[in-house]
Amino acid sequence: MSNNTKSTTSNNPFDIFVIGARKGYQIAINNLMPNVLMAYVVAEILNIIGAMQFIGSLFGPLMGIFGLPGEAVTVLLTSWLSSSAGTGIAVSLLSKGVLNGSHATILIPAIFLMGSQLQYMGRLLGVADVPKKYWPLLMAASILNACIAMIIMRFFA
Amino acid sequence: MAEERNTATGNQWKVGIGAYIALLVAILFFSGLFMKLDGMKWLSAFDFTTLGGTFGTMKEPAKSTFLGAGGVSAKAGFLFALSLVPTVMLALGFLEIFTHYGAIRAAHKLLTPLLKPLLGIPGLTGLALITDLQSTDAGAALTKELYDENQINKKELVVMSAWQYSGAGLINNYFAIGSALFAFLTAPVIIPLLLMFALKFVGAMIVRSVLNTVYKEDFSHEQ
Repeated sequence: MSNNTKSTTSNNPFDIFVIGARKGYQIAINNLMPNVLMAYVVAEILNIIGAMQFIGSLFGPLMGIFGLPGEAVTVLLTSWLSSSAGTGIAVSLLSKGVLNGSHATILIPAIFLMGSQLQYMGRLLGVADVPKKYWPLLMAASILNACIAMIIMRFFA
Repeated sequence: MAEERNTATGNQWKVGIGAYIALLVAILFFSGLFMKLDGMKWLSAFDFTTLGGTFGTMKEPAKSTFLGAGGVSAKAGFLFALSLVPTVMLALGFLEIFTHYGAIRAAHKLLTPLLKPLLGIPGLTGLALITDLQSTDAGAALTKELYDENQINKKELVVMSAWQYSGAGLINNYFAIGSALFAFLTAPVIIPLLLMFALKFVGAMIVRSVLNTVYKEDFSHEQ
């Protein structure tokens, strides 16, 4: 989201709201919608070829630590590529009844803490000139963060 | 977020074996041949019409929204994404107002004294970190500027980037994208946000301690 342009042409709160709402529209249409659509299609492909059930049983024990069904790993793996897509997968699993509200509550901080890391490598670590040597360290710290978040969220969900 | 760029330029006149395979797959994908093959239902995962999916239907008109119930794949995804647009616009509209009236500046003020004791980075980095909560790109640009102006050293740069990298663009992403899940949450919406904010520090502190131990040599010339 490159929307830090201070457009302070007006001090009228209604105008300011409209500026923000316009940004929201851009994000929703250009970003959220293509990603969510892709996530729904990917989830459907995995579902048809039966990979979802396989992934579910394979990662069941691991995800069990966080109080999640095995299928939830697809949300996390996709989030790593793009948080919008990960959110989309989560919603499609929720609508299929694979996940429930407590699962969503456990997952939501993890989606963003380890989210979109693939693109942020370029957009953040690349732009800020962080030496490549430390990239895996930062990535590992983020994934660790996500795991801690899921464990803590178990108490709230 | 996603800013994919098309990098395939310059070699459009070379037609290798891969191109013919792609053409074949494209024809099969759109042909409909895979749609209903008895005994090989999994092949329908590579069929255009199947992946197009279906819209939900009004099974219970009194309860259903325009999404209906039982929709799948692209069509269901599209309508679902459409249903998110109003709340995303609302969230960013209000964020813009709160930002305009200085919410971010106040947050900057509160954050600054925490930076030195927790992360070992100077307070002047606070602005870049706060900016990152709203915009990953702007935060990254400010971070680079600080380093270029010798305000921070390499180690501080890495710690700052660690803080930003986990949950980058946190506030905007959470309200713009995460709002899709808000209706399902069993805990107040603020709790995951506060937790993520706190964990940004935890992650950066972990990175800092690794830099101070494993990578100690790298920074021996800096102080």
